[in-house]
Amino acid sequence: MKGNNYDVIIIGGGITGAGTARDCAMRGLRTLLVERYDFTSGATGRNHGLLHSGARYAVTDRESATECIQENMILRKIAAHCVEETGGLFITLPEDDLSYQALFASACKAAGIDAEIIDPKEAISLEKSVNPSIIGAVRVPDGAVDPFRLTTANVVDARGFGAEVLTYTEVVGFIRDGERVVGVELRDNITKTRSRKYAGIVINAGGIWGHRIAAMAGATVNMFPAKGALLIFGHRVNNMVINRCRKPSDADILVPGDTISLIGTTSSRIPYDEIDYMSVTPEEVEILMREGRKLAPSLGTTRVLRAYAGVRPLVASDNDPSGRSISRGIVCLDHEKRDGIPGFITITGGKLMTYRLMAEQATDLACRKLGVRKSCETASTPLPGSEKKAKKKEAKRVFSMPGLGGKAAVGRHGGRNGRIDNSDRNGASLVCECEEVSVGEVKYALQELDTRNLINLRRRTRVGMGTCQGELCACRAAGLMANGCTAKALEDLAVFMNERWKGMQPVAWGETLSEAQFTSWIYEGVCGLSRFKEKKGGM
Amino acid sequence: MNFDTIIIGGGLSGLTAGIELQKRGQKTLMISSGQSALHFFSGSFEFLNTEEDYPEALKKLPAGHPYSLMGAEKVLETASKVQDFFAGAGVVLNGEEGRNHFRITPIGVLKQAWLTLEDYARLPSDKSLPWKKVTIANIEGFLDFHPDFIAAGLEELGAECHCRSISLPELDRLRNNPSEMRSANIARALTGSVIGNLAKRLSDVSAGSDVILLPAVLGLDDPRPAQSLKVRTDRPIEYIATLPPSVPGIRTQMMLKNFYTRLGGTYLLGDSVTGGDFEGRKLKGIRTVNHSDKLFCADNFILASGSFFSRGLLSTPSGIFEPVFDLQVNCPQERRDWTKENFFDRQPYMGCGVATDGQFRALRKGESIENLRVCGSLLSGSDAINEGCGAGVATITALHIAENITEGK
Amino acid sequence: MEYNTSENNFEQCMKCTVCTVYCPMLAVNPDFPGPKQAGPDGERYRLKDPSFYDEALKYCLNCKRCEISCPSNVKIGDIIQKARLDYSAIKPGLREFALSHTDLIGTAASVIGPVVNDVLKLGAVQYAMDTMMGVDRRRTFPEYSRERFTLWFRRNARAAQEKYSRFVTYFHGCYANYNYPKLAQDFVKILNALGYGVHLMEKEKCCGVALISNGFRKDAIRGAKKNLKSIREAVAKSEPVLATSSTCTFTIRDEYPHLLGLDNSDIRGSVMMATRFIFNLIDSGKAVLVFRNDYRHRIAYHTPCHLEKLGWSIYSTSLLKMIPGVDFVMLDSQCCGIAGTFGFKKENYQYSQKIGEGLFRQISEAEPDMVATDCETCKWQIEMSTGFKVENPISILADALDVEATIEANAALGTEAADK
Repeated sequence: MKGNNYDVIIIGGGITGAGTARDCAMRGLRTLLVERYDFTSGATGRNHGLLHSGARYAVTDRESATECIQENMILRKIAAHCVEETGGLFITLPEDDLSYQALFASACKAAGIDAEIIDPKEAISLEKSVNPSIIGAVRVPDGAVDPFRLTTANVVDARGFGAEVLTYTEVVGFIRDGERVVGVELRDNITKTRSRKYAGIVINAGGIWGHRIAAMAGATVNMFPAKGALLIFGHRVNNMVINRCRKPSDADILVPGDTISLIGTTSSRIPYDEIDYMSVTPEEVEILMREGRKLAPSLGTTRVLRAYAGVRPLVASDNDPSGRSISRGIVCLDHEKRDGIPGFITITGGKLMTYRLMAEQATDLACRKLGVRKSCETASTPLPGSEKKAKKKEAKRVFSMPGLGGKAAVGRHGGRNGRIDNSDRNGASLVCECEEVSVGEVKYALQELDTRNLINLRRRTRVGMGTCQGELCACRAAGLMANGCTAKALEDLAVFMNERWKGMQPVAWGETLSEAQFTSWIYEGVCGLSRFKEKKGGM
Repeated sequence: MNFDTIIIGGGLSGLTAGIELQKRGQKTLMISSGQSALHFFSGSFEFLNTEEDYPEALKKLPAGHPYSLMGAEKVLETASKVQDFFAGAGVVLNGEEGRNHFRITPIGVLKQAWLTLEDYARLPSDKSLPWKKVTIANIEGFLDFHPDFIAAGLEELGAECHCRSISLPELDRLRNNPSEMRSANIARALTGSVIGNLAKRLSDVSAGSDVILLPAVLGLDDPRPAQSLKVRTDRPIEYIATLPPSVPGIRTQMMLKNFYTRLGGTYLLGDSVTGGDFEGRKLKGIRTVNHSDKLFCADNFILASGSFFSRGLLSTPSGIFEPVFDLQVNCPQERRDWTKENFFDRQPYMGCGVATDGQFRALRKGESIENLRVCGSLLSGSDAINEGCGAGVATITALHIAENITEGK
Repeated sequence: MEYNTSENNFEQCMKCTVCTVYCPMLAVNPDFPGPKQAGPDGERYRLKDPSFYDEALKYCLNCKRCEISCPSNVKIGDIIQKARLDYSAIKPGLREFALSHTDLIGTAASVIGPVVNDVLKLGAVQYAMDTMMGVDRRRTFPEYSRERFTLWFRRNARAAQEKYSRFVTYFHGCYANYNYPKLAQDFVKILNALGYGVHLMEKEKCCGVALISNGFRKDAIRGAKKNLKSIREAVAKSEPVLATSSTCTFTIRDEYPHLLGLDNSDIRGSVMMATRFIFNLIDSGKAVLVFRNDYRHRIAYHTPCHLEKLGWSIYSTSLLKMIPGVDFVMLDSQCCGIAGTFGFKKENYQYSQKIGEGLFRQISEAEPDMVATDCETCKWQIEMSTGFKVENPISILADALDVEATIEANAALGTEAADK
């Protein structure tokens, strides 16, 4: 511990907070990042994982579109192991207005997005899964980005530059010197102990929860909770991102991500007090399936693994009931100027795509206030694991070995895959067979990636994210994590299985229902896990 | 080809029915579309989760429960025959008359059980243990068994537990395969001279212990390796189930199947019944994938095709159905009512199944089919997991049906 | 709205691990990833990125025992074989060519049959094949016949077929043609006795099983197309196409569509094992077999993997059990380990023999006069490994048959039917 004094404390372990922590640390600030649960447990972990080209916003929101394409190009360079350069299509279906295509293409061009109108036949040959009845197609530089990896890499780098990071640590109050915010009062959500940390600047990067954090400091930031539901399909149906070429609407983006594909989203306004308790309704599943099949008909005959919903952290500015016409623009609030609260900054709005730019703006503001004159380097410095040479070398090494040999892990950890030690007698053994997660990878996550429970482990490695949703791997991983505290490990296992089920339940038919029955036989029938069932929900 | 009875489904329930019918002199055919749920066997049959004596507990079951359809008296009478029935096939099960004992689960929970395989840890009470000092040994690198979990469970009851990892050079070759350090593959290696080495290692690490608890990874084809280990080790050995696949379950399945074929039964594995020809309220014959040009005819038919996992029931977003004969299924209409949000809650879909009359004759288009009976987990009205009655319903309804068929009821 | 559950077969996998228990290769060779990993699990990764293909999939015997055991109807073996053809970067060599182009080699060898047999038995030649080609020297080769079956048929039997009014078409396969014409002759003998004339296919090529497993997809497609054409011609004449080899039958029925992309749905039901056809005739009372009284043998039956997958061993065993003098022993169904050309390869010999151990032990313990099985490669493997004689059930039936009595009985049946 470096004591309790920092230059900057960042609240929120989503991608914005992690990115801001990295930027601050890189500029030499003494940085503390606090997250009340786990990294990516909010909107960061509940979206499409789409590396937007910006095309989606080209017609409706030029500014966002421009930001997107710029950040898109940056992320390809600095976050190579989190990004898949798949390319994307904007397709026009017979029911859509083809005249929108020209407007769309010219808007893309104006925003600096390389959008090319192509023959529908070419689109079909590029992407086999796309609806063959399309009447128009535009090719754009969309891609996929893994928000879990991206956040982890930012945290790892922040720490490398000296930042301190505390998960399961919640801000329960602000320490004030007059109006000035001079620190935060923290509660450890596991041990329930409290502590105080001081800093010149406190940055609120709490996403949708930033509304509450700001309120605690006495500032009003009105967030617009717009729920978006998504479905995960059992395998990679499409290799290019598929969008509808029309005004943004429900379920019009299909994104490939690692071993799966995702369709989303719906959009509905929800009361603020529901943001922590979201579930996907049968009606939402219906919309997603119906619209999804229009993008790629084979979705209708593909196993649906789970459903989940996130909340867009948009800043309210009008009364649009859908929340869609709101700008995705970045909102960086200097509460000293705005509300007379010195020492407090809120960074919000924006989106996964523009997290780095958001971090840059917040860090710039913090530096100005702290009198630090150092420029931002996050746009040119690769994240840990994304260094070109190291990543390539690691891939070459692993893919030249016979057998499984941890090939999947290279995709997850890029150049840092070498830190996984599978050389131990049992290190290469698979814990999760669907996603090929080895004992060595689990140990690496436990030792280096702030992994305290199974859900954390899932976010760091993909344990339990595959076809069976944790049927053998969860128990294996729990065993590896027990480490002398078995009751806690088993309670954790029960929480984990319940969390997996929560996503399966809205889509529990066909194989998913059969799988659930099998999982119940194992965990309850054979093991009797209900003895450890949770008293309340976990994160 | 004509048979007295054709049984669809070759799992625990189907095999029980088939064996009983063969014993009663029938000529039967059994068609199984794959291996059964016995491959995930816990080592114990459950009758019903209850602290009470069975007669009392049976009174409290809802009217639609398979046990209630049979009637408590008949259930108990049939249940009392199960132990001997399995002993006849070489599967030795032990239990107490009319009430539950406890088994130790792979995560160290003491769970209620009715009949437990010999050599498996079987406890009369969940309040105290018969051992003071316990050695729990695992095979090094075997991830489907966690001594720590079991130790924690037993320590709560006052036992002193020692967890040991045994490494045997004979397993090192298997270790090279990152996914296959599984119970069945280990069992294949633990035979012959390796048993001697294992016995010696176990004796070495268990000094002073009253018992050695081991994962059930011995004896894939026959019980001999387990017996041999028992003889060669200084201390008593008891087994605890592992995560799938279940070595004793595979062995049990094989012994039952062999017993059935030895009794003259015809067992077709890997074939699926595609449908049947009905004449009024009678099923005349069935067709299968592999023998599509053939109508397999019989006087009686038994459907023991299992629940969702075994594809005895299928579901789509809009409904749950029985795929072979499109029989009537008892299930909630709306999909949202099939499940509950908490994984550990009683899930309504678990109780879904084929509707029958009181004689377990299947209902189809509002009428019962005279010669088509349903047994086991395909029956509606019981929740194998929540009520802990899976194996009980599977075996007891099967024996009951076999009796009814041969006695012309 | 009705939308389907998954039509992607690999997604039906519940990850229950049952298949791993029944894989004969995994049981002896941990370098094989196992059916679950190689099949549905691996498929998901290969769809993401073909470089996830693992060359160790070459160890899959294609025995399909994983599929038979799967409670969820996953075509595990099919997935693996398809992946091998689609992704393997290993180029087949001279050895693979020689082992798999059975009709080419067979035609050449049968011209000089006995010479080849003697040459193949020479230690020096076996040594050379072992070291230069990687064909295991411990392996005994099937002998080549002096006179091919097709030649024999043309010279001795073809004309006589025309006196019949009902016909079947016979797919003899490479083995019966080049190595063991007696089997084919036995087939003709039985069918004739039952009152059926035998036609050969207009043009018969190797079924292609060895080509497929050795990576010659194009050659396999070429042959398969010719076979399908001839089969269609036979079916158009309402003649069932019968075979005496379980692997040929299985390949034509179940491997052509998904591995070679050839639709066979119109003729699939007409291609079957001879034992199935014969059994059905008898079972439905349309024909009878009369056996000699003096035939006395203890026969142990081995189920070849592909017959197990077809689910048809019941036909062969039921027929054998009809022979009054047969003391029948059913062997527990296990892979013999040869898997076609697999066991001929030097690097596979040890696995091949280890897989077969259980079966060999069963046979020795049963002490039969002979072993019956419907697959020629099983025959080679069992004869070489146990010393017991192995015969196709068709040959056993033919030996046990009272030909005259059978002809008479069936003629009487025919008259009866005509009377009705």
